[in-house]
Amino acid sequence: MVRRKISAKAELPDFQLKPADLKRILSLALARGGDFADIFLEYRTSLSILMEEDIIKESSESVTMGLGLRVIHRDRTGYAYTNDLSEEKLRSVALTASAIASSRTRQLRPIRFRLQRPDGDVARARLVATTRPLQEKIKLVERAYQSALRHDPVIKKVQVAYGESMQYVRIMNSEGLCVEDKRPMVKLVAMALAEKNGRRESGFCGGGGRVGLEYFDRQLRPETIGQEAAAEACLLLEAVDPPAGEMPVVLSPGHSGVLIHEAVGHLLEADFIRKKTSVLWNKLGKNVGSQQLNIYDDPTLPGFRGSYNFDDEGSRPQKTLLVEKGVVRGFLQDMLSSRLMKKDKTGHGRRQDFSCWPLPRMANTYIDRGEYDPEEIIRSVKKGFYVSRLSGGQVEDSGQFTFSVTLGYLIEDGRLGRPVRQATLIGTNLDILQKVEMVGSDLEFGWQTGTCSKEGQDVPVADGCPTMKISGMTVGGLR
Amino acid sequence: MKAISHDLRKLAERLVQYGRKQGADEIEVTLYDGREFDVEVRLGQIENLVEADSRYCAFRLFKDKKVASASSSDLSLSTLQALVRQALKRASPTHADEFAGLPAPARFKVTEDSLKLYDPEVAAMKPQEKIKMALTAERVALQDRRITNSFGASFVTNELRTILVNSSGFSGEYLQTYCSLSLGLQAGQGDRLVEDYWFSSKRHLRELAPPEEVARIAVERTVRQLNPRKVKTQNVPVIFEPTMTSWLLAFLFSCVSGTAVYQQTTFLAGRLGEKIGNDLITVVDDGLLPGRLGSRPFDSEGVPTQRTVVMERGILKNYLCNTYASRKLNLPATGNGNGRGVVPNNFYLEPGTVSAEEIIRSTRKGFLLTRVIGHGLNPVTGDISRGAGGLWIEDGQPLFPVSEVTIAGNLGQILQNIELVGNDIQFESPVCGPTIRVAEMTVAGK
Repeated sequence: MVRRKISAKAELPDFQLKPADLKRILSLALARGGDFADIFLEYRTSLSILMEEDIIKESSESVTMGLGLRVIHRDRTGYAYTNDLSEEKLRSVALTASAIASSRTRQLRPIRFRLQRPDGDVARARLVATTRPLQEKIKLVERAYQSALRHDPVIKKVQVAYGESMQYVRIMNSEGLCVEDKRPMVKLVAMALAEKNGRRESGFCGGGGRVGLEYFDRQLRPETIGQEAAAEACLLLEAVDPPAGEMPVVLSPGHSGVLIHEAVGHLLEADFIRKKTSVLWNKLGKNVGSQQLNIYDDPTLPGFRGSYNFDDEGSRPQKTLLVEKGVVRGFLQDMLSSRLMKKDKTGHGRRQDFSCWPLPRMANTYIDRGEYDPEEIIRSVKKGFYVSRLSGGQVEDSGQFTFSVTLGYLIEDGRLGRPVRQATLIGTNLDILQKVEMVGSDLEFGWQTGTCSKEGQDVPVADGCPTMKISGMTVGGLR
Repeated sequence: MKAISHDLRKLAERLVQYGRKQGADEIEVTLYDGREFDVEVRLGQIENLVEADSRYCAFRLFKDKKVASASSSDLSLSTLQALVRQALKRASPTHADEFAGLPAPARFKVTEDSLKLYDPEVAAMKPQEKIKMALTAERVALQDRRITNSFGASFVTNELRTILVNSSGFSGEYLQTYCSLSLGLQAGQGDRLVEDYWFSSKRHLRELAPPEEVARIAVERTVRQLNPRKVKTQNVPVIFEPTMTSWLLAFLFSCVSGTAVYQQTTFLAGRLGEKIGNDLITVVDDGLLPGRLGSRPFDSEGVPTQRTVVMERGILKNYLCNTYASRKLNLPATGNGNGRGVVPNNFYLEPGTVSAEEIIRSTRKGFLLTRVIGHGLNPVTGDISRGAGGLWIEDGQPLFPVSEVTIAGNLGQILQNIELVGNDIQFESPVCGPTIRVAEMTVAGK
């Protein structure tokens, strides 16, 4: 009987799979002539708790266990996965994945593995969530819930959700790499609904990351999460319809990082570059935006939601310079793209889970601080739009992108005016990046609750930016 | 497949018995057994090929009106039993909820056969034939010289068996297939690129559009956007193509979901029986349409699916409820259950009599919406604000392509302002509708 008792100290459960077994599977996977093969073995437990209508309604636990096997032959990828880890099944997975290669059988060199473990740990978890009693987590949920509900009599409904997970991975490849890691994650989010004179509005706030439960004592208290959600809902009750048309736009620090995620990050992912579908594919070394723009992706920021010790191909991640003074300096690489493009890996090969092959993805993307005082930036706008909170965005390879503003303000004579509700902003990156007129000195990161979707795969990310001014952008409003 | 199905059903039954023995008042176990094939080709070469079978177990149990659930892709009995014991432990510190519980047992006779959910041709298709479908679609498209790059074509097949057993005596299963061909293209030079895609997805291979047709439509949709302009901000009639009507209906679904209604997170809460749209609007959710993508004999709780009229000539008739929402709202469960939430079965806008061409021809000035980007939909208020692209219409003719604009409006007003409903419904997705024209929305540009 396999023992799968998980505790903070436990390593990846061994699944009765010995390194020798996995070695045999990798060799079998290359038997038809593939250039490279790797195995991604995952065991993940998650827990969620939901509170609404004054009661803890439900808790849910899940176990994700499985193995994904990839064979690369030139630029082709064969992929197969299974959650049945019997030797017989794994052999058939290896044969399936290897079907994309069809050269004659090669004599294989024996693979010698060297086990790597992380030097440090990007996770900052002292009270690892999976080891703490359920009661403690319920308390956090209740605290956020009560403070949202008591914030104002117009708050009618509150929902609070807590989520945690612990992912154990083992990654092995035909070049002898063998990596093991464990990745904790927590998240606490609140939604508050306000109602007045028949009008309803909702507000949202959350936090978390690769942290332990002490985070909710030190960095972000559940009370703050509840109150912020409630405050946003209350503000929106007073909000006016958004203006429509092109106007100067000021982006708030932190949340507006979504803009750079969409307008720059995705289009510098190496798969879109090597396929020449990204409008930035031929822009390396070229100017694409304002001199004030310095953009990085850093998967090593301690405790961040998008951070990891190894990417999902076992590569060590690096803080990657993407744009320097408006000039494109780098791409986000995974193993396949870096091979095909003959560039160095940057450690951005990520996957949703064992059933997915890795893709070049962002981790924690941000615009570095500039020189302007944020107050001065707002003062410089006579009539415009201030973006306060965003709910997400989308981009296409042509560079056209949008982001959805849940709460904004009108700017009138250099001051924030009335709050504004729901508006979508749209632009084309090569145009908007040139129009970045002022970058503030107040770099912040958004809430640690973001998830990025690409080709059906969801991965946790974070983004950040200082206050910024764009000289003109289309605001999709009603007036 | 029969023997496997028998074993999995036995496993589900054992887990139900185990849960009861351990002290659960009620327990419901679902097992999924799926097979996936996915090939992506690009520029005439296979880029990715995935083949896999996977299984998955999910359960929910009730103890003293307290709920706990779990799921696992590790199907060993020891793991699943441990999850049951842990769930019982987790239930204890949560609060009792008088509305929680399994649905009352129902009797019905619908099966996968009468619903035509399974196509043996899809199951028997050889990898080489699937690869060929994708290669053909892309090759045909790339013959058009206006197409300058390809995102690739993909062909996907799925077989999925769903088994549901609960402690109230329900025991059912069904097997379904799915196949889909899609193609994404890019056109334009230098930094002025445009992109679009087309697809066909069905349960039955014979109903799938041929690769040549998918290619032709994908090409047409892509090249018609070349050299777009940005228009001035103005209020104009907006024509929604069927794929655009689909997202508008998906948004409507989220606003009539029983879960959102009891949570008060929809602007349509408390408005049953009211006239919320005009006479042209009849919206139906039907889980029993033979062969359609959203059909299934029973929902995730074992409630039989049915035909539910959601809006009839503009009047809001029904919310779509799982068992929990139905008890909270004191309304019937409609067979839309999906774990904790609700999902659409086939949720569609009844087609009208005019053709899409006539709708365009009768538009003096307006915006034909063909693409959206971004997610600005708020069910609490009904507000819509999304990035948009399409064609500018004047005197019944497309004049030039439009990009980098947004459309904004409110679903409540749109339902009143739909002035034409087309006859071109396609059922290429579970949530769908024909071409429609909305009398006025804000198009924001320059």
